[in-house]
Amino acid sequence: MSTNNPIAVSARKVEIAFGVGEAKIFALKQADFTARRGELIMLVGPSGCGKTTLLSVIAGTLTPQAGEIEVFGQRLDGLSQAELTAFRQKNLGFVFQSFNLIPTLTVIENVMVPLLIQGTKHALARSKAAAILEQVGLKGREESSPNALSGGQQQRVAIARALVHEPTLLICDEPTSALDKDTGAQIMQMIRDLSRSPQRCVVVVTHDFRIFRFADRIAEMEDGRISRVIDDSSTLEIQPHL
Amino acid sequence: MYRLALNMLFGDRAKLAMLLCGLSFSALLMAQQTSVFFGIMSWTYTPVVNIRAHVWVSDPMVEQANDAKPMRDTELGRVRSVDGVAWVAPLHTSFLQARMVDGNFKLITLVGIDADTFAGAPAQITQGRIEDLRLPNTVIVDEWGAQLMGRPVKGPDGKITNVPLKPGDVFEINDIEARIVGICKVRRAFTGGPFVYTTYDRSKTYTLGARRTLSFMLAEPVAGVTPAELCHRIETETGLKAWTTDTVIWDWSERSLAKNTFWWFWKNTGIPFSFGTAVALGLFVGIAVSGQTFYSFVLENLKYFAAIKAMGASMGVLARMLIIQAVTAGLIGFGLGAGMAQAIGRVMIEKGMPPFVMFPQVLLATLALTMGISIVSAIIGIVKVSRVDAATVFRG
Ligand SMILES: Nc1ncnc2c1ncn2[C@@H]1O[C@H](COP(=O)(O)OP(=O)(O)O)[C@@H](O)[C@H]1O
Ligand SMILES: [Mg+2]
Repeated sequence: MSTNNPIAVSARKVEIAFGVGEAKIFALKQADFTARRGELIMLVGPSGCGKTTLLSVIAGTLTPQAGEIEVFGQRLDGLSQAELTAFRQKNLGFVFQSFNLIPTLTVIENVMVPLLIQGTKHALARSKAAAILEQVGLKGREESSPNALSGGQQQRVAIARALVHEPTLLICDEPTSALDKDTGAQIMQMIRDLSRSPQRCVVVVTHDFRIFRFADRIAEMEDGRISRVIDDSSTLEIQPHL
Repeated sequence: MYRLALNMLFGDRAKLAMLLCGLSFSALLMAQQTSVFFGIMSWTYTPVVNIRAHVWVSDPMVEQANDAKPMRDTELGRVRSVDGVAWVAPLHTSFLQARMVDGNFKLITLVGIDADTFAGAPAQITQGRIEDLRLPNTVIVDEWGAQLMGRPVKGPDGKITNVPLKPGDVFEINDIEARIVGICKVRRAFTGGPFVYTTYDRSKTYTLGARRTLSFMLAEPVAGVTPAELCHRIETETGLKAWTTDTVIWDWSERSLAKNTFWWFWKNTGIPFSFGTAVALGLFVGIAVSGQTFYSFVLENLKYFAAIKAMGASMGVLARMLIIQAVTAGLIGFGLGAGMAQAIGRVMIEKGMPPFVMFPQVLLATLALTMGISIVSAIIGIVKVSRVDAATVFRG
């Protein structure tokens, strides 16, 4: 399907090491990774294999020590912190494992944050946030505190926040691992339904094999690099080692 | 985003309460200590306030209001003849021991005023009449003195109460009878005991005929001559020292007796130092407490600031958010602290103890320092947030 779509993310021979000397660990070893517009690609693999690290590189929050990273034709390696910040503000939406909602703000205020950062007027940001909250089924909970919501509801707020400014790259790190099986599936369904767009690329990191079926493609990681890419997720039902 | 910054601040009531406690406590401590300090310092020029005259004249060697270097009575005539003088009245002040009926001695400040004009008489006589000072061996005592020199009396229920002196009561100054004909209300002084008013002539009797009793002269300029101008004339014509009686201690009117008295005590006593230490301590505690609470506020929110940073907020935006939070907390803390200081001050002023004078300058300085604490806290927060790696948002 999407193999002919334009390339959204391209990482080539990316290297990241943490620590120095004896304690030095290579989290990414010459990793190559490609994702296209219009697809939902999952990054899977055992804990500690470097998934989050690769995601951070793609998101422009971590600068690789070697290799190239290009997102929508823009080289990220070599950009200054300010340029990376501007890049993230414009192009990226985030969904985190631990939701990362600001507990002292209301639900709708949390969703407004990406718009306000972009300089959108308060009133407009509010109406856009209200609209997307309705889409994730949280109409009526706008003024609640995030802490008053269930885990699944909180993650829906996070999805609304990640998509409210219509980013072209959506990054999700283990979005279902803090949730039970059914809620996790609902959340994944929602990410898939709402984020689908020919322009958008969605990268989901997970080691939850029960949600593999939502992926267009699956990139399997092992020990700091992509070991294989599976184009048809149905061939990957249960992988006991994951 | 800045509105949300405030909502973040106000969202956590418990943290906010802590933060405001720290800030208002330090503001209170600073404003309160400084005001008590200025209150005590303002007691140094109490005579100028109580005596109410436009011009004071003294021996040229006198440096401040509590430092009497008695002159000869003939000086009155010399001052009276200076062009522009409407009238001149003598004033005697001295510290003496008064003996109570029960035989106890108490230190008093004897004030002798002119019996014709009553120039320098207390503004508020709460019992009796000033004119009765013209009767033989009479005095007027201030309320504090009436309390201080009062007698413990055992009531029918066995409880001991202090009965203050009242008109009709008698005590002795240098073995000479002093009969109370009035009670007055005056401001307390830094030096000496309570005020006992009598006539200038009788003060000579009470001081056992001291050779010189003219401590100061009180003068009034004729219409059209300013006190400062009159001072100048008196000084050039008599060689004595003349003072104005404005109590503004901040400006540079060289002739103000109150100001010279204030700064004399400032230079020659340890009070500014010991109070400075208290104020510095307040400031220190304030910085520590509020800096610490704001820092823990930032630490607690660091995770969220990191998320906002990851979502693409520039350091400029984050810095402004933190400054808005800190400055808002600082302003509220200052308001609460200064308000509390003023409320406590009001009670103190009513009681007269400890003295309390809150200058607007003190409030401004407290505001500046509270803002300083907030800004420093914000800067520490900004450094902390600038160091946080946006990538940490992905780590649990
Ligand atoms: N900030 C860091 N400092 C040191 N080591 C790190 C850091 N982040 C990740 N690592 C290490 O890099 C490796 C890959 O981590 P990560 O990308 O989080 O794996 P995954 O997300 O696949 O579980 C792990 O060995 C981890 O311990
Ligand atoms: Mg991870």
